[in-house]
Amino acid sequence: MCNVSDRVDGLLSRVEKPSRYMGGEFGSVMKDPEKVDIRYAFLFPDTYEVGMSHLGMKILYHTINKREDAWCERVFCPWVDMEQLMREENVPLFSHESRTPLSEFDFIGVTLQYEMSFTNILSALDLAGIPFRAEDRKNGPILVGGGPCAYNAEPLAPFFDFFDIGDGERSTDEYLDIYAACKKEGASKEEFLKRIAALQGVYVPSFYDVEYNADGTVDSYTPREGTGAKPIVYKALVNDLTAADYPDKLIVPFGEVIHDRIMLEIFRGCTRGCRFCQAGMLYRPVRERSMERLLELADKLVAATGYDEISLMSLSSGDYSCLPELAKEMVLKYRERRVRISLPSLRIDSYVKDTLAETQKVKKTALTLAPEAGTQRLRDVINKGVTEEDLMRAVGDAFDEGWSAVKLYFMCGLPTETDEDIDGIADLAAKVRDRYFRVPKGQRAPGLRITVSVSVFVPKPFTPFEWAPMLDMDTVIARQKRLKEKLSAIKGVDFKYHAPDVSYIEAVLARGDRRCADVLETAYRSGCRFDSWSEFFSMDKWLDAFRACGLDPDFYALRPRDEGEVFPWDVLDCGVEKRYLLSEWKKALRAETTRDCRKGCTGCGMKRYEGACV
Amino acid sequence: MRAWVRIGKKNRLRYVSHLDMQRLMQRALNRTTLPFAWSQGFNPHPVMSFASAMAMGWTSEYEIVDIRMAQDVTAEQVTKEMAGALPPDMPVYEARLVDDRKGAPMALVESAEYRILFESPDPEAVFGAIQSYMGEEHVIAMRKTKTGEKEADIRPMTYALNRQEDGSNAVIARLALTEKATLKPDLLMQVLASRAGTQAEGIRVHRLCLFGAGGVPLMEL
Ligand code: SF4
Repeated sequence: MCNVSDRVDGLLSRVEKPSRYMGGEFGSVMKDPEKVDIRYAFLFPDTYEVGMSHLGMKILYHTINKREDAWCERVFCPWVDMEQLMREENVPLFSHESRTPLSEFDFIGVTLQYEMSFTNILSALDLAGIPFRAEDRKNGPILVGGGPCAYNAEPLAPFFDFFDIGDGERSTDEYLDIYAACKKEGASKEEFLKRIAALQGVYVPSFYDVEYNADGTVDSYTPREGTGAKPIVYKALVNDLTAADYPDKLIVPFGEVIHDRIMLEIFRGCTRGCRFCQAGMLYRPVRERSMERLLELADKLVAATGYDEISLMSLSSGDYSCLPELAKEMVLKYRERRVRISLPSLRIDSYVKDTLAETQKVKKTALTLAPEAGTQRLRDVINKGVTEEDLMRAVGDAFDEGWSAVKLYFMCGLPTETDEDIDGIADLAAKVRDRYFRVPKGQRAPGLRITVSVSVFVPKPFTPFEWAPMLDMDTVIARQKRLKEKLSAIKGVDFKYHAPDVSYIEAVLARGDRRCADVLETAYRSGCRFDSWSEFFSMDKWLDAFRACGLDPDFYALRPRDEGEVFPWDVLDCGVEKRYLLSEWKKALRAETTRDCRKGCTGCGMKRYEGACV
Repeated sequence: MRAWVRIGKKNRLRYVSHLDMQRLMQRALNRTTLPFAWSQGFNPHPVMSFASAMAMGWTSEYEIVDIRMAQDVTAEQVTKEMAGALPPDMPVYEARLVDDRKGAPMALVESAEYRILFESPDPEAVFGAIQSYMGEEHVIAMRKTKTGEKEADIRPMTYALNRQEDGSNAVIARLALTEKATLKPDLLMQVLASRAGTQAEGIRVHRLCLFGAGGVPLMEL
């Protein structure tokens, strides 16, 4: 039998976009497998193009490969054409760098970015010939999950050996150190898990007994004796981002990927406290990277990658405390080298704007704004601290300066939403349109385009809306229809929305419990994968899977929760306390706002962590 | 001043498209400290060009990039910097400096030499067809063009054709490669195979050399 690399090679001429399986990119890390103790496969459960655009992967790839004793390689999900060929020809899922079969690695680290990629994880294991259930894998790779969905990965719990919650920069090194020691001693996987169970951020689901109440809700999670598992798992937290690891080289893909540029994370966390936003809660507190460090990293990355664009990343880049200075410095510095800086379009002082205009020929792409809700009342409910006045000022400035395209993002199905709030979206679009025509004819840019994008709201764990039901699909569809009619009366407005069925399954998985694992497996076996790609999503298959497993998806998606309910994710602590989330939920129902905690702590609970928010 | 750099493209990278190559080369240049020149205009880019675009799936040891420099450099400097800026499967073999008045390599190329690997139920018959093919004065074949199929006499575009002497199923061919007349290795193999009454499949093309006027390799021209 010839080796995997040759067999992969033999398939490439028969698939669409062969370069996504090619490897060999500039900056990819090659090591001698004989000289490392730990082989780590970082699996991004989606296509190469999506995975290569992901910052978290770049950070961990760098962190792990810095170790002399470990080699981290990348693994992506093959597109359906390649998947089929691999099955036909018995080619196992392989790593990008060395084309080693996945089953030969010590670790498979999976990043859990969105619920609708869960079936792809099973698909990857299947292609690798690895048993799905952790209990069936006494040997072989250890499966670890991280990323936002690890905060409620209960539907994945039986498949994974452990989850690493929170910032991975340090915790990864900690568990790898323990693994290296275990490997030397010849300790079992069980023993390894026991030893890491004490680490901050490590959650070993098999170490907990789960009891359910008669009504199907969770009664309790109890750590099993002798396992060392903690009653509550606190997230791993990196307090000093300036000192934290950050890649100073990157892999530069050949073909175009979604974000094909240098990504510079300027800070982590967000203080605004939008109540629908999970990331805003999970990544607290705000930790900035110093300007000096950012400039140093930018220099290294420009030299090491040859990219001609740097994008400043964070949850709301406009909030970086010295954004104007940073932007100015970078723009001036890279003018010579023709490196563009992409900046958040809002909140940039006029000096920077002028510098930008001079040097960069700012592309007048669409101005993007996210009011999220159509009325002030509902914006107060979700604590989106933006007023109509703010919005009109932003679009007004943009129109005055020659912009003619605006994208407005909203959500449908937010708690307490009524038809009035939906009508508010149309009113706002009409006001934006009027504002455009207030710019005198000769001065305004021609071709007004207003895009109204409305997504379906999905309540997420660790947000004040974790108690809220998702809006039932019929009502969602009725409101989408209502809005469509209203917007069609306004000329120049383009309405974008989606059928709510994907969101419904997302809502189930987002707040699902361990019993949903059977549903996932059944759905996968019936053909579900790439569920976030509309051409592959099949609602029927999912509903059949729930039926086959005797579970009611409405129970997870549409049920309002009681204040006292124990959630499947209560065993984890993301920093923001449940009592705080509950008080936020109550305030939301009264349409009371909470201030941005940059303007004064609002007591979310983060201060329980050493060194946070001091 | 301009620099010609000869690079290769190994098997692993054979699916890098020509468009990807251009982007890759631009980024590679950005990774060097070479004083390359930028184009004027709204969207400045390094001034460079390739001698010949390669089809997806081909490998090569003779790709030439022509790079305009804004300041003087040495050939060693170019070789060293480019080698450090390209992925390992794109080796840099040599560089030479050329005068600004020299034509673009694209305009100077007249032919290319390929090693063409193939699979066939009857490879010996394919090899056997070489002699009779080369003995003809005209061989008419249907050539695919942008607008459909067109008849073309491919024999005059075949300058040399020999069996690879190492026992592998491969021929070495030197074929016309100009803007007006280009013979693609795939078509040659199809014609050879059909003259031999068999098929040639799984064709793998590897470019060995590019030649200019008088059959002189481009790097020596
Ligand atoms: S502890 Fe206070 S300052 Fe820190 S994130 Fe929470 S609310 Fe904001």
